[in-house]
Amino acid sequence: MMAESGPGPGPGALQVAMKLASAAVQLDTENRHREAYCEYLKSIKFISQALIEDAQTKGEREMVTPEVQKMLKLAEQCLGRIKTTATKLGKAETKAAVSQAVKPSYTPTHRRVVSDGGGTNKSFLTPDVFQKLQLPETLTTKRELTPLEEASRQNQKLKAAYEARMARLNPNQSSQKTSLTLSLQRQMMENLIIAKARQAALQRKMEERRLRLQEEANRRFSTNATLTPEEEEQRNVYASILEFEQDHEWPKQWKLKLKSQPNDLILVGGLVSQILSCPEHPISQLLKKLQCRIYSKLYPIVNTHFSDQVALTEPNAGTGLYPAQSQCLLNTDVKSSLHKGSRLKSSKSACCLGSVQDHVKNNSVRLRHSSSVTSVVSVEDHNANTDAWDPKAPGSNIMKPSCSTKDFAPNQASEKNSPFEDLEQDMMKFELQPGSIADNMNLAVNSGQQILETEDMQLQDHLKNIVKDVHNSIDRLLTLCILAFEPLDSATGKDQCLASIEETFFQPIWMFLLALFRKVNHSREMALDKSLKLYRTAGPADVGVSDKLFPHKSTPSIGSYPYEIAVQELRSISKEFCPQKKLECIVRTLRLICDCAEQYCGSRQSGALIVSAIGADDLLPILSYVVLKSNLTQLVSECAALEEFIHEGYLIGEEGYCLTSMQSALLYVESLSKE
Amino acid sequence: LCLPLVSMAVPGRTYCYKVVLLGEGCVGKTSLLLRYCENKYNEKHITTLQASFLTKRLNISGKRVNLAIWDTAGQERFHALGPIYYRDSNGAILVYDITDEDSFQKVKNWVKELRKMLGSEICLCIVGNKTDLEKNRTVSVEEAEVYAESVGAKHFHTSAKLNQGIEELFLDLCKKMLAVSQAEEAARGTDPSRVGNARRGIQIIDDEEPQPLSNAGCCPPSS
Repeated sequence: MMAESGPGPGPGALQVAMKLASAAVQLDTENRHREAYCEYLKSIKFISQALIEDAQTKGEREMVTPEVQKMLKLAEQCLGRIKTTATKLGKAETKAAVSQAVKPSYTPTHRRVVSDGGGTNKSFLTPDVFQKLQLPETLTTKRELTPLEEASRQNQKLKAAYEARMARLNPNQSSQKTSLTLSLQRQMMENLIIAKARQAALQRKMEERRLRLQEEANRRFSTNATLTPEEEEQRNVYASILEFEQDHEWPKQWKLKLKSQPNDLILVGGLVSQILSCPEHPISQLLKKLQCRIYSKLYPIVNTHFSDQVALTEPNAGTGLYPAQSQCLLNTDVKSSLHKGSRLKSSKSACCLGSVQDHVKNNSVRLRHSSSVTSVVSVEDHNANTDAWDPKAPGSNIMKPSCSTKDFAPNQASEKNSPFEDLEQDMMKFELQPGSIADNMNLAVNSGQQILETEDMQLQDHLKNIVKDVHNSIDRLLTLCILAFEPLDSATGKDQCLASIEETFFQPIWMFLLALFRKVNHSREMALDKSLKLYRTAGPADVGVSDKLFPHKSTPSIGSYPYEIAVQELRSISKEFCPQKKLECIVRTLRLICDCAEQYCGSRQSGALIVSAIGADDLLPILSYVVLKSNLTQLVSECAALEEFIHEGYLIGEEGYCLTSMQSALLYVESLSKE
Repeated sequence: LCLPLVSMAVPGRTYCYKVVLLGEGCVGKTSLLLRYCENKYNEKHITTLQASFLTKRLNISGKRVNLAIWDTAGQERFHALGPIYYRDSNGAILVYDITDEDSFQKVKNWVKELRKMLGSEICLCIVGNKTDLEKNRTVSVEEAEVYAESVGAKHFHTSAKLNQGIEELFLDLCKKMLAVSQAEEAARGTDPSRVGNARRGIQIIDDEEPQPLSNAGCCPPSS
């Protein structure tokens, strides 16, 4: 549907805008006019932001692409809807399904397959947009009708039937008309009274059940009077899990299956992914809440904090420090990766396709970015510059009524507190008043070095903090899974459970985490980049690969250069969004290196017994060569992130050895350009 | 042999140790390692990472031990990368060539570094390799042994070519590492589950649990 026509505001932006608009339409159809009104306005706000960003980086001629025109049209339609909704808001009366006509043009199911048309996404999604994307299912979930709703529906039918019959009656049959009217009124009244009684009974029952389950949950947890907020939350989520299980059949079936074969890994994986993909399940809701919480923390750092930096240093551009630093800070494919994440649910193959393309274009995009430093200045939200340092900001994002907080109902109390506390702790560490950091930075504008140092420290600290949060979140989810499904409480069950949780957990937030790691490891990436350029045409011998371990021109070999399959495997690391998968990719790379080496070795000493095998003396030079050939600057940050997120248990074995070797090779390659 | 009480008290546990192999480029680390594994196992069973990373299961006085042996690159230009390899190691094998005085000096440097970075908790073995070239020896036996003792390390002589002294080397290292973890366990009270968290290197895992390195375990248990 959309043409791949040069750089625009990015297909990602259009997609997000459509998603926002369609959420609004959905609300509209449900006659939630007030909310719909706000959502339409938000869509327009988003569109204008994206377009402003786009316009600021382009010349007049290239500005209006088909994408831009589509966004403008969408904005126009939204405005139309707003006007209609506004008039409806004026009157109390509501008409159902009035907006059906608009809907087909942007249903949420419509998704573009390939998202990278060289699009330059310069800013990150605001946390509430992220949250929206995270919760599409919960927004549109059908729920059962309450007795009252059911009754009113029935009454409407009765009324329709009544009207039809009235129309058929002759004017002279007035007594019949009266009796029809009376019986209609009686019936409708009866329906309502019955419904009210049923509703009350149901509510009483639910309340009783809730209390009973809460008690059960209380018993499950230690009767200690002093619960930490986290234990409290755990208990509450557990209670809602019990409630959920009363209403749904599938958890019981899984429990039975698990009991009969508790060590069936496929079964465990299946269970966990069902839990996490069921939007109403309390664990899945907690997962989304935790993800959003981490995103809210990441957002000000990877987005706004960054634009702060650029703004601050612009008068000081002569130092050359910041422009250089800002070049690759905002990773270009971050936004599209979010879509990949969400798209994955609907079509896995599409995701792969998209990422291959992203991957191929990765470098060109990065380069384009570095050529226009100003383009990175994000105008996302200028107020956010100060918000970023306001301890209330992340909390308020989460608490906005528009963010469907009702979905997180079980724990609003603890929700309010923790993000603040964490941020405040951060602030304390720098012995600065909360909220005064921005001022402080303004004062420091003339000493670039000083800013660099503080920021470095702050970044490091934020990184540690977020890493801790991630671990904490995963631990909590694991604990709850095991509480809910006791048969999982075995070593193998836990392992598998953890693997499945991690996969789902990291999927949508990995690129943002990586962006933070890239900021922190910026100087290392720069060094690697320099080496990559310097050694672009180097052969295996140039990095010390032993002569017998690569084919020479005379001998035929697989691929266009030595170790090509290992290089390709390594390059595929950016296609994965979960640490475990990435680590597996590194392990495969090293194995392929050994396979190749063996082949090259064998083909040269044909017939002779091969006595030597590849030891670290040979492996590291080859690995360094493969790193050079892979041409992936972000590898530094990917590996740094893996160090933090991979479960310790893995780091003593083969996976650990491979990761360590990769780190060593990277350090070595980085050092090549420092000499 | 009398079984120590601890192993009687906690049957079904496996001790996992990380051992790092250090030494200059041509001292024969790789052959040493290959010998140790190929002796009992078919060459095809060498891990997919060949001789860079090997695992071996042992049974010492009724205790199951899982060794993960990490080879390191000996070239000078990779020297700076040592620390990321040997962090969290339980044992280190420092190899020199008895015909190469220089390689022995390198071992001394490694020992200093290891002691500085990891303290006394790491078990060290110093190994003079290539005893089949005895006639070309330049590092005297006495000097090496005195030095080893002075730094609290054990000294071994091996020949990868003749397959001498290698089994003994690894067996002795394992016993030393076991002794260290038992001392740690005792120091922390006899709750072994806490030891696992106390230090990353020593993982004591339950019997039912598969090796954390599921795809690396190639060696059947030796008895």
